[in-house]
Amino acid sequence: MSNKLNLIQAVTQALDNELELDKSVVVYGEDVGVEGGVFRATVGLREKYGETRVFDSPLAESAIVGSAVGMAINGLKPVVELQFMGFSYPAFNQIISHVARMRNRSRGRFSLPMVIRAPYGGGIRALEHHSESTEAMYAHIPGLKVVIPSTPYDAKGLLTAAIRDPDPVLFLEPKRIYRAFKQDVPIEDYELPIGKAKLVQEGEDVTIVTWGAMVRDVQKAVEIVSEKDVHPEVLDLRTISPMDRDAIVDSVKKTGRIIVVHEAPKSFGVGAEIVALVNEKAFLYLEAPPTRVTGFDTIFPLARGEHHYIPTPERIASSILDVVKF
Amino acid sequence: MHLEDYNPLDNTMYQIMDKSGEIVKSEDMPSFTDEELLYLYKTMLYVRIIDERALSYQRQGRMLTYAPNTGQEAAQIGSAYAMEKGDFLVPAFRELGAWLVRGVPLKNIYLYWYGNEWGSHMPRDVNVLPVSVPIGSQFQHAVGIGMANNIKGENNVAVSYVGDGGTSHGDFHEGLNFASVFKAPVVFIIQNNQYAISVPRKNQTASETLAQKAIAYGMPGILVDGNDIFAMYAATKEAIKRARNGEGPTLIEAYTYRFGPHTTSDDPTKYREDEEVESWRDKDPVVRFKNFLLNKGLINEEWEENIKKELDTKVVATFEDIEKNSVYEVDDIFKYHYATMPPHLEEQLNEYKVFLQGGKNHVK
Amino acid sequence: MKYEYRFPDIGEGIHEGTIIKWLVDIGDNVNEGDSIAEVETDKVTTEIPTPKSGKVLELMADAGDVINVGEVFITIDTSGEADETEAQVDENEEIVEEETAGVVGEVIVSSEEIPPSTEGIVSTKKAVNKKKILATPVARALAKDLGVDINEVIGTGPGGRVMKEDIRNFKDSLSEIEEPKSKVDEVSSDFVKLEEEVSKGESITRVPLTRIRKTIAEKMTQSRFTIPHTTAMDEIDVSKLDDFRKKYKSILKEEDVNLTYLPFIIKAAITALKILPEFNASLDEENNELILKHFYHIGIATDTERGLMVPVIRNVDRKSIVELAKAIVDLGTRAKENKIDLSELKGSTFSITNYGSIGGYYGIPIINYPESAILGLGRVVKKPIVRDDEIVIAKILPVSLSYDHRIIDGASGARFLNILRELLTDPELLLLKS
Repeated sequence: MSNKLNLIQAVTQALDNELELDKSVVVYGEDVGVEGGVFRATVGLREKYGETRVFDSPLAESAIVGSAVGMAINGLKPVVELQFMGFSYPAFNQIISHVARMRNRSRGRFSLPMVIRAPYGGGIRALEHHSESTEAMYAHIPGLKVVIPSTPYDAKGLLTAAIRDPDPVLFLEPKRIYRAFKQDVPIEDYELPIGKAKLVQEGEDVTIVTWGAMVRDVQKAVEIVSEKDVHPEVLDLRTISPMDRDAIVDSVKKTGRIIVVHEAPKSFGVGAEIVALVNEKAFLYLEAPPTRVTGFDTIFPLARGEHHYIPTPERIASSILDVVKF
Repeated sequence: MHLEDYNPLDNTMYQIMDKSGEIVKSEDMPSFTDEELLYLYKTMLYVRIIDERALSYQRQGRMLTYAPNTGQEAAQIGSAYAMEKGDFLVPAFRELGAWLVRGVPLKNIYLYWYGNEWGSHMPRDVNVLPVSVPIGSQFQHAVGIGMANNIKGENNVAVSYVGDGGTSHGDFHEGLNFASVFKAPVVFIIQNNQYAISVPRKNQTASETLAQKAIAYGMPGILVDGNDIFAMYAATKEAIKRARNGEGPTLIEAYTYRFGPHTTSDDPTKYREDEEVESWRDKDPVVRFKNFLLNKGLINEEWEENIKKELDTKVVATFEDIEKNSVYEVDDIFKYHYATMPPHLEEQLNEYKVFLQGGKNHVK
Repeated sequence: MKYEYRFPDIGEGIHEGTIIKWLVDIGDNVNEGDSIAEVETDKVTTEIPTPKSGKVLELMADAGDVINVGEVFITIDTSGEADETEAQVDENEEIVEEETAGVVGEVIVSSEEIPPSTEGIVSTKKAVNKKKILATPVARALAKDLGVDINEVIGTGPGGRVMKEDIRNFKDSLSEIEEPKSKVDEVSSDFVKLEEEVSKGESITRVPLTRIRKTIAEKMTQSRFTIPHTTAMDEIDVSKLDDFRKKYKSILKEEDVNLTYLPFIIKAAITALKILPEFNASLDEENNELILKHFYHIGIATDTERGLMVPVIRNVDRKSIVELAKAIVDLGTRAKENKIDLSELKGSTFSITNYGSIGGYYGIPIINYPESAILGLGRVVKKPIVRDDEIVIAKILPVSLSYDHRIIDGASGARFLNILRELLTDPELLLLKS
């Protein structure tokens, strides 16, 4: 049985399913309980599961994450919400110093089955710090997993997998598409594999690797270029770390060309990592230089300048044609 | 004793046994058996010997940087002894006495300072978290442990330690705040040994005491003579009882002194006067406890000599075992980042192993 | 339940309309289908009906106001309705209500649907198995520059990688001219036949080529395949020259000089070279220039045990015939005895090959690359010729002049031989013009 849900509803349903199935799951963060979350991700959960398991916390991101560490050590599965990725930085110390390290530090004696959820990415004409895409910084931390869904179906499956994962997961939700579309989502619980990319579209001419809200923009760009008889292959990474390296390399070996599309700033980003991978593993198959279509190496502009920053389908399509004609 | 009776703003220090070993607050004197008293004293001696040996090994180049505990034995042992079986110890890095009381094997402790992560792999039934290097960050872990305890409806308490320096850190404040809001069963213990490396306590905060910071968070705080093992025990015991009763967290300031350097890489003569150190020698926690036991007729010099020899032999044997037999496996560097090693780590490990075994273009 | 009625696109893609007047008031009860307002658009003026029954709660605009398509312009309290259909529509209404809570930003809300996930569904489309050429970007660039389709090159590198060498070799094999290519084919098939013979029991001997032979082979190939050769031939009446020669032969023999025809021929050739300098030149293909040499070193092709050698007499124009005669003997002897210096085998500007001395008559000599011409001499024979309309017996010297047809036209070739003939027929004229 399925229902048509948008991405935020899929998140809610995943939390609902897991709270039901596993009594050790708890959900908290700022405005998560009574209000149901500023994006309504946790609506109804407090009513259903009680304020012992779904509750509001003081305004202290570091303590939200730090306490989750302690909870996980003491046998619970905390799923905490950071209100925006831009507010994850106060918790960065806890994340990089402890969340990612506890298992290795203790040689497995202590491990943290916890999830940190945060809306991420730009495109909602908000204030500063509400449009962050710093997944690369978190992906660079060994011991942490970083997951970014692009559809409601994927969001529910991946969040479920993240909650059940014995390792800590940073689950970034592309807020631009929270409510932009709906999709059939099974009402029952199900998991999607973390660390596996999804082939969104098959093609022979060029491999496009992307994730999150950009998947749709890439699909629009693909429509544009298909009129010129160019057929890209589109990979939705879904998990940034650990990355599905085989899927990327296999695809590039087939097409000989690759474009990475991401919102985040260009330099030192996930795109750079993918280009390095492709050079290491598929160098002899390359017929054009690996390319990135990304945000600029600037701070995300405020609302009036926002539309310049996120790569548009037109910008992506131009790059596709450049690469294919190399 | 009752924590509510103590107002940290009064600036009075809670004490049961004075610096000469006399009991000055007999109504609060814990009812220890003789075996318990001897155990406590032995543990204090043990701490000193472990420290002395570690320092010596370090100067011989056989041990890495080490943080000695000398002077803080009562603060550590007294408080930790008040904990019960399932309780969690969430240390900073200078809690040797507490580790020993809570069942951490010396081998683990030495292994850690020797530079091997296996030192932090506690035995199954030892609820002690690893050393936390980012100052103050461990408080939040203790809070989480306590919150989980409440959620699960269990009875355990988390006891966490920090230094006077750590009380300036944001995590200290966030932790206390969180713990109070959620009434987490946590006991926060500040080992105020008067110095954060070279920065003296009075430059760390403008507050008169550290214990009074508890008031801001709506929890009881108490300033305790950290060199008085009985006072530390009694105060901690009361705080733990409160926590277990669901009354929430407590902040205990253990007023003590660091006789040695911050670590073996530090030279305290650069920033403090000998007179100051001498004045604290007068209040030495081990000496005063020794006097107490001597007066009670429970020990004599010969007994102490024998015990010291016994403990020393044990310490030396443990260290030499580590030196000779402990291994550092390359695989271990990779194996424990995730429950299952992901393919890219496997690849990196294998590549490295090929290099070590003499790979294609091997350069030694 | 508050129903928010959004101004619909009543057709033909309008964006806005103006409320002419309201047909209901706040608090009125309305039934589904009742007209609630009169609205004017670009296209029409029309009454707008309500899709819901209930009580009018709010009127969001006044008469005369402009409302946009999609904007809420009236709200109706529908809670009185016992509506089954409404339960199904509930979802959509929830979207409208659950917009972002008082937080910064605008999240797009839409009930657009995307197709269900294809997770786990294996694609039935077979991958078109294009053969993949492995090559570095540098190699691919080289192929592009050379105009080679890299997909046709067979790689000899690790894992079948196409190396730059493979691409260059492929290019070279493409640009070989047909004849040699087919020759190669012939030869290789000849070799195959040979192997067959050998396997049947016929014997062969394999002789490794000497360095000299290899060098000769290379030089001959280079000359023949670079220079378009053509050969002009003539028969020269050297009867008078022979008499002249014999007259002084015995005298000079006392001076240990062997006077043959060759010195005279060389002198005649020099005169011709001076008049027709293109025969004493080299073609610089790269710069498209003809290098005319103003010095005269003559190479004399000499047969030795080890093979053909071409010792060089330098500055022939400054030597007398006697001196030339001596030089010829000297070089020839030393060449045969392998006592000749390497420097004496280089630097010729024109060459002469005297196959006649071994008995040859006709010849088509190969130019000594990078010279532009070579003179071949056959043996002198007695032949009947017509002189002054009478048949007489004369001494005839056959000559063959091969030259580079890129820079020397047939007319020049003929002219050269004319000069040679003129001078060698009349020795006194030769001496006068030397």
